[in-house]
Amino acid sequence: MLQLLALHLLAAVAAPAIMRRFGRKGFLPLALVPGSAAVWAVVNTGAVVDGRGPTLDVSWIPALDMSLSFRLDVLSWLMVILVGGVGAIVLGYCAWYFASGAKFLGRFAGVFVAFAGAMLGLVTTDNTLVLYVFWELTTVFSYLLIGHYFDRKGARRAAMQAIIVTTLGGLAMLFGFLILGEAEGGSYTISELIAAPPAGGGLVTAAIVLVLVGAISKSALVPFHFWLPGAMAAPTPVSAYLHAAAMVKAGVYLVARFAPGFAETPVWQWMILLTGGATMILGGYRALRQHDLKLLLAFGTVSQLGFLILLVGQADRAVALAGLALIGAHAMFKAALFLTVGVIDAAAGTRDLRQLSGLAKHLPWATVPGVLAAFSMVGLPPFAGYVGKEAALEALVHLDDPMSVAVLVVVVIGSILTFAYGMRFLWGAFARKKGVPDTSVDKEATGLYVAPNVLAFAGLFAGLFPVAGETLLAPYADTYPQGEPGHLTLWGGFGIPLLLTGVIIVAGLLLMLGRTAIERAQELVSVGPDADRTYRGTMRRLDSISVAVTSITQRGSLPVYLGLILLTTVVMIWTSAYAGGLRIGALKPWDYPVQAGVAVVIAVAAFLTARARRRLKAVVLLGITGYGVVLLFALQGAPDLALTQALVETITLVVFILVLRRLPAYFSNRPLKASRWWRAILATIVGVTVTFVALVIPNARVTDTIAELFPEEAYNFGYGRNIVNVTLVDIRAWDTMGEISVLLVAATGVASLVFLRARAGRVERIRDHDMDRGSVWASDSPGDDALVRRSRTQPVRSTRNRRWISAGVALAPHRRSVIFEVATRLIFHTMLVFAVYLLFAGHNSPGGGFVAGLVAGIALTVRYLAGGRYELGEAAPVLPGLLLGSGLFLSAGAGAVPLAFGGVVLQSAVIDFHLGYLGDVHLVTTLFFDIGVFLVVVGLMLDILRSLGAEVDRQGEAEGRAAPDVAHDSPRSTADDAQPLEDALAGGGPR
Amino acid sequence: MNQFVPPEIDWAALSPVLIVLGLAVVGVLVEAFVPMRARRATQVVLAVVGVGAALVAVAWRWVVVQDEGPTAVVAGALREDAPALLAQAILLVCAFVGLLVIADRSSGEDAFAPAAAAIPGSAYEAEARKAGLAQTEVFPLTMFAVGGMLVFPAAADLLTLFIALEVLSLPLYLLAGLARRRRLLSQEASLKYFLLGAFSSAFFLMGIALLYGYSGSVRFDELATAVPATSGLDGMLLAGVLLVIVGLLFKVGAVPFHSWVPDVYQGAPTPITGFMAACTKIAAFAALLRFVYVVVPGLQWDLTVALWVIAILTMIVGTVLAVVQTDMKRMLAYSSVAHAGFLLLGVIALVPSGISSVLFYLLAYGLATVGAFGLLTLVRERDADGNVTGEALHLSQWAGLGRRHPVLAVCFTLFLISFAGIPLTGGFIGKFLVFGAAIEGGAWPLVVIAVLASAAAAFFYVRVIVLMFFTEPAGTDADPGTTVVRTEGLTAVAVVVCAIGTVLLGVLPGPILDLTASATKFML
Repeated sequence: MLQLLALHLLAAVAAPAIMRRFGRKGFLPLALVPGSAAVWAVVNTGAVVDGRGPTLDVSWIPALDMSLSFRLDVLSWLMVILVGGVGAIVLGYCAWYFASGAKFLGRFAGVFVAFAGAMLGLVTTDNTLVLYVFWELTTVFSYLLIGHYFDRKGARRAAMQAIIVTTLGGLAMLFGFLILGEAEGGSYTISELIAAPPAGGGLVTAAIVLVLVGAISKSALVPFHFWLPGAMAAPTPVSAYLHAAAMVKAGVYLVARFAPGFAETPVWQWMILLTGGATMILGGYRALRQHDLKLLLAFGTVSQLGFLILLVGQADRAVALAGLALIGAHAMFKAALFLTVGVIDAAAGTRDLRQLSGLAKHLPWATVPGVLAAFSMVGLPPFAGYVGKEAALEALVHLDDPMSVAVLVVVVIGSILTFAYGMRFLWGAFARKKGVPDTSVDKEATGLYVAPNVLAFAGLFAGLFPVAGETLLAPYADTYPQGEPGHLTLWGGFGIPLLLTGVIIVAGLLLMLGRTAIERAQELVSVGPDADRTYRGTMRRLDSISVAVTSITQRGSLPVYLGLILLTTVVMIWTSAYAGGLRIGALKPWDYPVQAGVAVVIAVAAFLTARARRRLKAVVLLGITGYGVVLLFALQGAPDLALTQALVETITLVVFILVLRRLPAYFSNRPLKASRWWRAILATIVGVTVTFVALVIPNARVTDTIAELFPEEAYNFGYGRNIVNVTLVDIRAWDTMGEISVLLVAATGVASLVFLRARAGRVERIRDHDMDRGSVWASDSPGDDALVRRSRTQPVRSTRNRRWISAGVALAPHRRSVIFEVATRLIFHTMLVFAVYLLFAGHNSPGGGFVAGLVAGIALTVRYLAGGRYELGEAAPVLPGLLLGSGLFLSAGAGAVPLAFGGVVLQSAVIDFHLGYLGDVHLVTTLFFDIGVFLVVVGLMLDILRSLGAEVDRQGEAEGRAAPDVAHDSPRSTADDAQPLEDALAGGGPR
Repeated sequence: MNQFVPPEIDWAALSPVLIVLGLAVVGVLVEAFVPMRARRATQVVLAVVGVGAALVAVAWRWVVVQDEGPTAVVAGALREDAPALLAQAILLVCAFVGLLVIADRSSGEDAFAPAAAAIPGSAYEAEARKAGLAQTEVFPLTMFAVGGMLVFPAAADLLTLFIALEVLSLPLYLLAGLARRRRLLSQEASLKYFLLGAFSSAFFLMGIALLYGYSGSVRFDELATAVPATSGLDGMLLAGVLLVIVGLLFKVGAVPFHSWVPDVYQGAPTPITGFMAACTKIAAFAALLRFVYVVVPGLQWDLTVALWVIAILTMIVGTVLAVVQTDMKRMLAYSSVAHAGFLLLGVIALVPSGISSVLFYLLAYGLATVGAFGLLTLVRERDADGNVTGEALHLSQWAGLGRRHPVLAVCFTLFLISFAGIPLTGGFIGKFLVFGAAIEGGAWPLVVIAVLASAAAAFFYVRVIVLMFFTEPAGTDADPGTTVVRTEGLTAVAVVVCAIGTVLLGVLPGPILDLTASATKFML
């Protein structure tokens, strides 16, 4: 068994090489491969009929209950012969069908053989999951076969349609198998499932439906019937194989396989009756009006598949036997008919029955199989089709439950239609028509005629020996749950079945004679919704829905994305708050009423910030909220926090403004009015939610806060009374360590972003200033107000005693402010002293390294603002990297020292000593750590000033583009419209 | 006062993480000290060897854990148990192949901007390109991300989880902005990813705060014991759990937290996209599994609705939107969203097989993803002068590729059918396992939707296959417009490994299934 599959695989892989070597005759050796499977089945016939067919069980994926278990019972035997036999014959036919120079034959042959192999595995495996695997493989391979003429749009669309419909069905089936496998008493082995179907319940019913959906989608039953006629875009041999023995037969096989176990379930019976019955009648009806012979046959197949599934899906043994016989008969006559059409198509160059005429005379060896096969199809004796249909009628007549009566009615109606379109096929293909000249035919190779004749005569042969068929097929039919065993015979005696056959023939002939009227009527009346159109409509709708959804949700707009996420989170929080009863505990509005006032100020400032159009305004308003928080801290009795916060606010403001100089004055791209409203609403909602959560969290505290331990611990272990500072340098010293490292990285990062080009390795001092070189700050075109001042301050270089700050001369006169320079001169050193004081006092009073660093930083900022970039170099003639590095080194070093004394890293110690007149000194070793922090903060500030301040200035000078003076911008001189200086000098004109 | 007890640290158990993060640090030093010429080679070797060594270490720990049982590491901050180790192994495998793609220099240059800080289109950038600068920081950054991802599946307390989340996210934010071409798109991607990520991190933290308020602990196990024991604070618990899950779902890219996925996948350098798509998903799902399976069982009834809605939305939105995409990367991005939905099925199932099935799915998905994105890096556009330029990402540019470059197209087809879940590929087995687990867990309505979504998804995967094999290429034979560049070999190796892995997982998944089958229980 596995050898056969492996043979198919090998042949498929080798096919391209074979086809290259032998050309189109390469199909002949390849035909041996599926043929070998049929031979294998034939050889095993005796054993199979005795119920001792070969079996095989190889463990594959035990964890999934997937095992390569195969067995050859009667049903599989029948299918293997059909799959292998018809496959071989069709492949042989291909050797003459394709033009000798046809392209892509290698791929075609390979896929065809692989397809046959997949079918072989499908019909022999005993494991549902492996069956699914083969099922999907047939889907994929059939897709490739249908799409063989890939340059034709129709072929591509048909292939796509086929794969989507059958994949959907396949997945449904897999889902059904999963349920059947996991359900109580379920199994992944088919024979076990059939022998002991899992006990009922809604889930198993659902599983049955799902498995049947798989079957009917594969077999192109209503409502999935539309893909099969489309699939005739494939080369004719493929159509023959697909319609007769493979692909669509997989669905029939599945139904026949599961019927013994499930055919008595009501849902099964109803689905089979409805889909099978509707398909049989609809297919026949549609076939009556087709002009393309192949399409006519394709709708005929649809009809026949409904018929087959209707029969093999019944619970009765006799009906099932008839169904099995018809599976065989159908394979032979349908393949023969398709191949005949292929011959006609090749010889006459058309398949349109309105253009064909007189072929009976010119193509006798196409006519013979055509007639034989069509007779078999319409159920005329003594062909196999007759035997099967007769047996079906016989069996159904003897059953009297309503379901069977319904089936009988459907079968009779369907057979009448079948008779009619069968005759129409014969008439259309071979008859000589009035008014149509005889079609001229090319001479075709003899080999082309072999295959259809073999198949057609096989049908005749099988019909002549019905007993053989009965003997061979009965063992499987007997596994069905109900009724008497049926019989296959050519002559069943006089009775209702014979009468019905007569009715079918007469009515069919009448329909055939009235064919023109019927065609016309069909064109006028459209029957129900067109499934093909529905499918295409669905696909189109899917497309347009996704376009619409994309344009709504995925427009690349960050606010929309963010809004979506925020909204979802808000909904989640409120839902769970509602469902689980999230409560805010007791609330105290304020400690002092003043706090409420401050809060109002903060809120108003925040609101105005969001509304601000101008960046500068927003920044300043933001600063107000920050200073409001400072006030709150101070009111709460936390001077150290308030001090820190105030300094941080100040510096943030300065940095903001330094950056703003290079940005447009106004926020750009204001959102439209409507979107502004929803943004505001969303922001409010999110704000309320977050406030709510923020109120919930502290009230949910169940244990005492760790902060209560801090005052005592800070003094006992950190030897200081300023909890904030002790926390920084002792209790959470490791965190501080991390923080200052981050500061260092941040400073370096900012600097390297701004100093893109060459980072100056040295500090620019005033002596570096080239007075001759025009610089922006020195020669900006001033505003009117500045011009007034210019005349007074312009003339001389400042003499020693008039130089309040050393680098002021590097600035344009109108940029300078005497008051500012004097004030800077006065307070700079004071601030530095204050910083040092804070640094040393910090352990017990408000202050500390961080705060001290900020104060020193602000002092430097003042110098820079007053005197420009050279002044900064004068104020701090060191590289910030040095400060940062030594600071970090000092902190880390100070932290490591205790190790030398047997302590742990960052442990504090206290040293008290007397220093004469200076009094007692209470030195805590963390001071050194704090100094490191101080240096890092100063370094950071210096780095920011150097990069965002000085370097930005320098780049502005180099580019000749003035940094806008945000301090007193007028709408005339924003960065938006800042003119390059050189333009102005050169008299304008774009660069 | 409580005496501080330093935790016992089992260095051996931490070895995979330590190797990766250690080498990442070494990588930073390499940037500083190794001369330019040797830098790239050093970095590549370091990264590849590091990930390989970590994989070996994980294998060793697996053996140890199988022998001695799972343990709590670093005072319970991490767990060393079978699911964690397996997730780490899967992650490292995908990271390994991902790194190969990242290191590849097809057509002589890598996928990264020569100077990421330069303003797109500036003269400075052009100079940097001309000078042949290379951004070898990519490797340490990737290693840091891998380090964070390794911690993610093992983290057993919320703070560790958060730190791991940030450690893995921050480098990715950066890496997303480093694309050599389409710089603005790349920077936009980076910014979006960062901003949205920052918000989700904030929610995550808020959730931690709520859970801490609820239980007085951030440890999963203590949280789990608190769930049935504490009463009256359900809202807090529920909100907290939801917010933490939001943080994780963001990383996973589940709807409605998926909006960044297509933009970032499209903008980021393609090798990074592949790495990120595979590895982030693996790490985040492993963490999500642990959180949900350890903490949530006590309150599954309350959470089910939310998780079901998210899973359904994720599957449907991912699939439906993928249908109309015309950009390869965006299509794969939406497909990854849909896959997140399928994976959620295994999480929601809340049965032991859910864990193993998700892990298997992740492996299959990860390999196919890295492979597919790896192939994307090879298919390039060509300008009028015949110079190879950026990646050819529009669907139409792939027309007829199958005939000019059959091997590449066949590999890509393989990955696509694995995504589609067609049998004999890893994707099928993964889907099968996850659906099975979901049915076992009683979530069969979800499976129905998943089946429908899979069928619809087949549509757009197949469409690409049709395009490659069955459509006439747009250009002429002389000037095809689209070309396939020769690789240095690294991408080829990665793609071949992924392809073989995908097939093996589909045909002979037995050994891997045995491994995943032993990873069905989280240590409390």
